[in-house]
Amino acid sequence: MAAPLLSIALEPGPFQPLQALERWHGQLRHRLGHLPAAESSFVGRVRPHSGAGVPLAALELEHYPGMTEAQLRQLAAAAADNPEVAAVLVRHRIGRVLPGEPIVLVAVAADRRGPAQRCCQELLEALKHEAPFWKREWLLDGSRQWLEGNTPL
Amino acid sequence: MTDPSPSPELPLPGELRVLLFAALRERAGWRERHLPVTGGITPAAVWEQLGLEPADAAATVRVAINQQFATWHSPLAGGDELAFLPPISGG
Repeated sequence: MAAPLLSIALEPGPFQPLQALERWHGQLRHRLGHLPAAESSFVGRVRPHSGAGVPLAALELEHYPGMTEAQLRQLAAAAADNPEVAAVLVRHRIGRVLPGEPIVLVAVAADRRGPAQRCCQELLEALKHEAPFWKREWLLDGSRQWLEGNTPL
Repeated sequence: MTDPSPSPELPLPGELRVLLFAALRERAGWRERHLPVTGGITPAAVWEQLGLEPADAAATVRVAINQQFATWHSPLAGGDELAFLPPISGG
């Protein structure tokens, strides 16, 4: 089987996960001639509250231009290193993201549900810890704080 | 986002380009510096030379050389891009 198709992009502004999935399906039909039988996807959105439980005005996402994209690609290729995985999609916001807005979309198309779901979960966990992104919470009073680490699984 | 230090000139040939991100950048008050490379220099030596904090950074701060994760004792060469990365919080 050919190497999995990787579609990786950073989104500087708001994006619609369902539209991104539809465009990706169009690319898969074009490249593979069909949609694989199994697909797993995950959408992460910004919580309305900070880690400390107070209302959040926005979440700011800083990244390392160049390394972040390369690292996402490397992590996606590693997670998809399974002959049953056909394609991987990653969309990740950068910049200022408002509560409720999508921040990350990961989708994996495969021949069976097991590889699709495992690859999706592995890649999501990997990018949370190994792709250089930094979140900063902005509160309603204008104060802000960098987050050190991720919320629990 | 505000950054008190102006964007520096391009590094001279053979210089090391040092980058800070997020909380590290704000604590230090600069985003990018250029250093001449001396023999055997490592990220740990650069951290100390620039007076960056905390002194025991290896437990929390990660290092990238030319946009690849590296160790605090990896050798550096002229023209390298060295980045210090505070704890990652993506996804």
